[in-house]
Amino acid sequence: MAVESYDAVVVGSGAGGAMAAWMLTRAGASVLMLEAGRDYDPAEAPMLNFTRDAPLRGVGTPDKDFGYYDATVDGGWDIPGEPYAMAEGTEFKWWRSRMLGGRTNHWARNSFRMGPYDFKPFTRDGLGVDWPVSYEEMAPWYDKTETIVGVYGNNPNLENHPNSGDGVLHDPPTPRAWELFLKAGAGKLNIPVVPARRAVLTRPVDERSPCYYASECGRGCAIGAAFQTTTSLIPQARATKKLTVRTDAMVHEVILDRAGKAAGVRFIDRKTGAQREARGRVVILAASTGETARILLNTKVAGRSEGLANSSGQLGRNLMDTVGADLSATFPALEGRPRYNEDGAMGLHMYIPFWLYKEQKAGKLNFARGYHFEVGGGFNEPGDLGGLDGYGAGLRARAQRAYGSTIGFTIRGEMIPNAKSYCEIDPVLKDRFGIPALRFHFGWTDQERAMVDHFHKTTQDIVTAMGGKLNKPPETADRALRKGGEIIHEVGTARMGADRRTSVTDPYGRCWDVDNLYIGDGAVFASKAHKNPTLTIMALAMRSADHIATRLRKGEL
Amino acid sequence: MTVAVDRRTTLAWLAAALSALPEAARGTGLEGTQWPTVTLKPVTAPGYGVDPDMSDPKVPWPLTLTAAERKAATALCDMILPADGTAPAASKLGVPAFVDEWVSAPYPNQQRDRKTIVAGLAWLDAESRRRSGKVFAASSMTQRAAICDDIAFKDRIKPGHEKPAAFFTLMRRLTLRAYFSTAEGWEQIGYLGNTPIDGPYPGPTPEALAHLDKIIAGLGLAAA
Ligand SMILES: Cc1cc2nc3c(=O)[nH]c(=O)nc-3n(C[C@H](O)[C@H](O)[C@H](O)COP(=O)(O)OP(=O)(O)OC[C@H]3O[C@@H](n4cnc5c(N)ncnc54)[C@H](O)[C@@H]3O)c2cc1C
Repeated sequence: MAVESYDAVVVGSGAGGAMAAWMLTRAGASVLMLEAGRDYDPAEAPMLNFTRDAPLRGVGTPDKDFGYYDATVDGGWDIPGEPYAMAEGTEFKWWRSRMLGGRTNHWARNSFRMGPYDFKPFTRDGLGVDWPVSYEEMAPWYDKTETIVGVYGNNPNLENHPNSGDGVLHDPPTPRAWELFLKAGAGKLNIPVVPARRAVLTRPVDERSPCYYASECGRGCAIGAAFQTTTSLIPQARATKKLTVRTDAMVHEVILDRAGKAAGVRFIDRKTGAQREARGRVVILAASTGETARILLNTKVAGRSEGLANSSGQLGRNLMDTVGADLSATFPALEGRPRYNEDGAMGLHMYIPFWLYKEQKAGKLNFARGYHFEVGGGFNEPGDLGGLDGYGAGLRARAQRAYGSTIGFTIRGEMIPNAKSYCEIDPVLKDRFGIPALRFHFGWTDQERAMVDHFHKTTQDIVTAMGGKLNKPPETADRALRKGGEIIHEVGTARMGADRRTSVTDPYGRCWDVDNLYIGDGAVFASKAHKNPTLTIMALAMRSADHIATRLRKGEL
Repeated sequence: MTVAVDRRTTLAWLAAALSALPEAARGTGLEGTQWPTVTLKPVTAPGYGVDPDMSDPKVPWPLTLTAAERKAATALCDMILPADGTAPAASKLGVPAFVDEWVSAPYPNQQRDRKTIVAGLAWLDAESRRRSGKVFAASSMTQRAAICDDIAFKDRIKPGHEKPAAFFTLMRRLTLRAYFSTAEGWEQIGYLGNTPIDGPYPGPTPEALAHLDKIIAGLGLAAA
């Protein structure tokens, strides 16, 4: 078979890969996108299908962990035939999907910008490392990304929660009654409750329609309101005629030329098992944090044992996820309240941003970094109404009264990189294609535990102010902390830096060791702010692709 | 039926043991029925897979409850959510069929629940016979209620009835889930969503906002 050759080969079609391809094709470059999963048509999304029609009323099963209608194809916590290992004592969860658009087809769309402190955490508190870019450098890229993606929210002028440029944000949806109640309760403790930011349109953008305020975003959004690359970046890049997409293409190593530059990649056709190659002047890996590290670690370099682009020894290291834990509470004041349609944009309309930067700076807290609350509740489509007692007419009345009176509180907090948390190639385990698999190591530290304790106490205080009661008392932080990877914000395995001795890539995601090899996903994160990572993955990928486009134009690549 | 020999043998044994029970047990009155041990042959039917056709959802596994179990389950679901005014009973909304679909599914959680439910339904009939000489579904409403009263309230579980109570809790969870997933259930509970809206999300109604003001004032909080 003839070897295909392009200006750029992009591996992965999720947040990072699609943004890189979008930017490069607009700049006139020819791009081959290789995606391990199957082709996916967003029209497959079962948007208004009834839960009652789904097997087991749609609950999660090992076949579909997040429920029957979830837009995850061939994936979830486990992919048949594609195992990964965990070191003894480690419990790490790795959510993957195998479909065009990757995990953007079903992510929750929470999209918070990182702020000035988040890019220079070491400067602020002496822990971890600084990014080689500042918020000021990133601000225009955030504006451009938010403009294309479409993000609702507002600009409340909060410390380390930057405003967006004028006119960039879409109007946030009207708060629901329980969210206003929370705002009043938290307000008593001077804790802010402000409009959340989500990648959901409330006005049209290009061909994409605004949200129609129904259908879980996780099912996929066929109307294009909730951002996913399959309704936006990928079709738009295709429209330039510069993009070739090849699905069922499982990349396993980078091809190097004699000079040590990237010449392309090798992949396996998942349908036939055949070995294939693709060539490009530049290679961009955006197969997701874990998988990108795996491809580099699996690439053999003559005379070296540590994989490709790993002269710093940092490849696979600094694996981070978001700190997660949950509590829920019931509020008598919300019982039996007047009914109305509380679906709204399905996810957060309001949230609690981190509000204690000054106290933290003054040394009044026993943890160094921030967290935010994501909250859920209201008149959701009824599902598990467990917890109710009795039977008969009394039970029915209790169900009716209790409906919409519970609020769930979750922490999304910053994890500081630690030496215990990394991934490497397992010495024996291979996937069904014979590609060596990853082995994860993971551990939390006292930093994250102290943060969870603080979240527990704060939640208790807010619940008390609202006259409610926790449904279960908080556990110890150790038990309450979700497993590594479980929040599905894994980043950091090929961090960027200003110094090639301590980082894998330069500030543009270019591997220090290979001039035409770039990383376009969360692997490049130098820290993991409590802000959900995907918006930043896209802003970085856009900036990186712009840099590549300039170099292609100048003939440097 | 995929459950075949093992299970039928066990249940036959159980039925024999239980039919011997009523007279003997009724005498003592105190102990109640032993929690039966059921050995079930694992369900081996395939699940719906990792990439099912979502536009045409299907339950690919065969149902496994016996006719007798289905009867007991139906009677119990209707005790949990009976007809009430305009509200239909659980059995009118397909809840027992859902319980059958659930316990017959080839997934670990459902297979775990199946053990509890098959044993629980056997217990229910045996306990009912012990008390009234009739299986649960054939006993009177008062007799059914008497059994439920012993196992349905978490603060009032009759001593020694922890397993039947856990079974009841599970049946209640499944019944509530299935019942309130239906159109009638949505109406009963007041779920008004899953309705596309043209234009901006309207947010709370004036009535809902008035209620909010009231509860905020009631707790001495400042309005948001
Ligand atoms: C349920 C859920 C909710 C989430 N909510 C949020 C949220 O609210 N906010 C937020 O910021 N983030 C959220 N996330 C995380 C978000 O989905 C990820 O951060 C984001 O998708 C990462 O983008 P990516 O491009 O790195 O990877 P992905 O989106 O996973 O895309 C990677 C693609 O590469 C493909 N691929 C993998 N290996 C190979 C290979 N060897 N060869 C070729 N292709 C390969 C994969 O099949 C996939 O399509 C959520 C995730 C989940 C699952």
